[in-house]
Amino acid sequence: MSRIESILWDDWHVVAEIARLRRQGRMTTTLLGESLRLRRDANDGRIEVDRKRAAADGSVYQPVGAVELRYGFVWVCLGTPVRPIVDFAECAEPKRLTASAGSVRVAVSGLRAVENFLDLSHLAFVHAGYLGEQPHTEIHPYTVEPLAHGGIIATGCRVYQPKASPVAAAGFDVDYIYSVLRPYIVVLYKANPIEPRRKDMIALFVQPVSEETCVAHILTCYLPHDADPHAIRRFQQFIFGQDRPILENQLPKRLPLSPRAEFSVRADKSSAAYRRYLAAAGVRYGAIAEA
Amino acid sequence: MITLYDYELSGNCYKVRLLLQLLGIPFERKEIDFHPGHEHQSSWFLALNPLGQLPVIDDAGWILRDAQAILVYLAGRYDRTQRWCPREDAAGLATIVAWLSFADALSGSAGRARLHDTLFFAADIEECRRAAHRAFRVLDEHLWFAEQEGGDWICRGAAPTIADIACFPSVMLSEEGGISRLPYPAIRRWTERVKRLEGFVTMPGIF
Amino acid sequence: MDRWFAVARSEEVRQGHVFQSALFGQEMAVWRAQSGGVNAWENRCPHRGVRLSIGEQIGDELRCRYHGWRFATGTGQCTYMPAHPTQKPGAALCATVYRSSERYGYVWASLQPREDAPLLPLPEPGTTLRGVYVDAPAESVGERLLLGYGLDGERRLCVRRLDPYLLIGEPRSVRSTGDASADAMEAATSEAAAAPVLFLLQPLDSRATVIHACIAAAISAAERLAVLRAHNTRLLAIRAAVEQAP
Repeated sequence: MSRIESILWDDWHVVAEIARLRRQGRMTTTLLGESLRLRRDANDGRIEVDRKRAAADGSVYQPVGAVELRYGFVWVCLGTPVRPIVDFAECAEPKRLTASAGSVRVAVSGLRAVENFLDLSHLAFVHAGYLGEQPHTEIHPYTVEPLAHGGIIATGCRVYQPKASPVAAAGFDVDYIYSVLRPYIVVLYKANPIEPRRKDMIALFVQPVSEETCVAHILTCYLPHDADPHAIRRFQQFIFGQDRPILENQLPKRLPLSPRAEFSVRADKSSAAYRRYLAAAGVRYGAIAEA
Repeated sequence: MITLYDYELSGNCYKVRLLLQLLGIPFERKEIDFHPGHEHQSSWFLALNPLGQLPVIDDAGWILRDAQAILVYLAGRYDRTQRWCPREDAAGLATIVAWLSFADALSGSAGRARLHDTLFFAADIEECRRAAHRAFRVLDEHLWFAEQEGGDWICRGAAPTIADIACFPSVMLSEEGGISRLPYPAIRRWTERVKRLEGFVTMPGIF
Repeated sequence: MDRWFAVARSEEVRQGHVFQSALFGQEMAVWRAQSGGVNAWENRCPHRGVRLSIGEQIGDELRCRYHGWRFATGTGQCTYMPAHPTQKPGAALCATVYRSSERYGYVWASLQPREDAPLLPLPEPGTTLRGVYVDAPAESVGERLLLGYGLDGERRLCVRRLDPYLLIGEPRSVRSTGDASADAMEAATSEAAAAPVLFLLQPLDSRATVIHACIAAAISAAERLAVLRAHNTRLLAIRAAVEQAP
């Protein structure tokens, strides 16, 4: 079995929501094909993560050294972390509502889930009446650039949204910025309906369970205007619930990186750039490499 | 006004929302944080329904739990056409009830598989899927032969009944639990007839 | 791989419905345009790979559920992309179209048809029966069918192969066995039950097969339902035997 590429192995990944572990006390999950066991000490709240390793007389669990708690999630690095956990300055802003919107398992490569998050032209169809609506289907040109430390950023995206967030009372043209920060981490910033010059933030931390399954952990960081945390969470679950069956109906399940495998048009600029970024960064896990 | 204790992504809640919309009954939704909040197991909710399950309705102070029971109540009390759950014929009514039980079993198999696959609920996933496929084979054959006699619905008659509404969500959401509907062409056609009903509403996962 | 297979009964490929089928692990979206023609396409939108079988047939076009792209009947050519409503989609934006045809009450498709590959001769008019989906490879299904078709207590049809995916069940020539009750049973079997049955095996993938079956005879309206049910019961018995085999 070939080694998993360092860009994934030696990086941080979310494996659980802290609230879920607090409630259950223990749980198991899988990251990059590795079985993990998580335990939370009820007394001091310490969280331990063990990884199942094959041993001569069966299997044994060994502690995972790199474990951190951030943004309400348990982050783990199976190798040696070469970069810190992604940093979102917005989450430190006072008065912002930062909360997880839950974790959902999806039977598709996590790279497909990230790409869907970047996609603009599905909004009027998959999320009709909320994040888009006919006849406002045209996607006008926007800008995509690489990020200095890897990843991509898409700016100048604009979509008419009848109900952009739980606090939107009317439809308006929403400005978006998308940023892929790691192969399996993407964040979007969208104009807040009440204060459109500032942005609400939604991050998707995708846990690659296997090459063809993932868990999508959603973090929201909204401006505080009348936003009820439950309403925010329900809205995100609703939206993601609409995406999930589309993702699970994509074939092949892994993301093809060759531009000849699936056709991109101008509206797909960020997804095409994302695939090029993955190919250049040597990401193979969850992908079908270029022939 | 009826209050529905509801969770957006629950198939059992959705079937009640669907019938309410098909019957044109106004209602108020009280959203319960089923996941990840587990609010259905909170003490205040257990006081409402000691089984800790959704959906629950409150109709002018009268509380009723159980999705299938709620369908029976709504059809009996509010359906002016009295076609959704005809009661005068004992055999016809009993047949509907048999299919309501079937629907409840689907929640336990296909529905449970979906909760396991999406929201990490514990389940014997292989047995859930096997049970779902056994049930789908029965339903597909039943619907196929109904079609041969010009019938569009689970129960005999020109109009759908609450049997169709009760079975629909678990069937329509089955692929979220790893249960493909490719081997069940009669079921697939039936789901499309349900979707074409006047007043039909979707939920995430159903389009 | 280069022959024609029945992938759906014609009656089941209707307006407003995209029929999901498969051959050798390759999923297909089978649909009928408003103008009547049938299509069997790779079940995958060329844009982002979403199954076309969850899409919608609108007139003579199939619309993908993900981004609303539309594809024309016959050619599979993309005709409209809502994200670029005034742009004509390039010729390369095309669904993968398999050769399809419609005869004898079935829609036929082939993954790699030879130009001259004929459709197998089937009886016209025949009566198509309910297709039965079996969790077993086509070879196992064929082997079980060769053991005979029919329930205990009735005259079984002798089944022989015409090719790896086509079998025919025919009544044995009637002989008196000297056993009065057995002879009476033979005589009592209805004519329809004794009509030859053609079994068209559709290999969905290496582990699942559809048994399409049709009778080489027309059936009166009065008999129809009973005959359909009787054959369904016989086919389910075949299925149970195949699926329970070790």
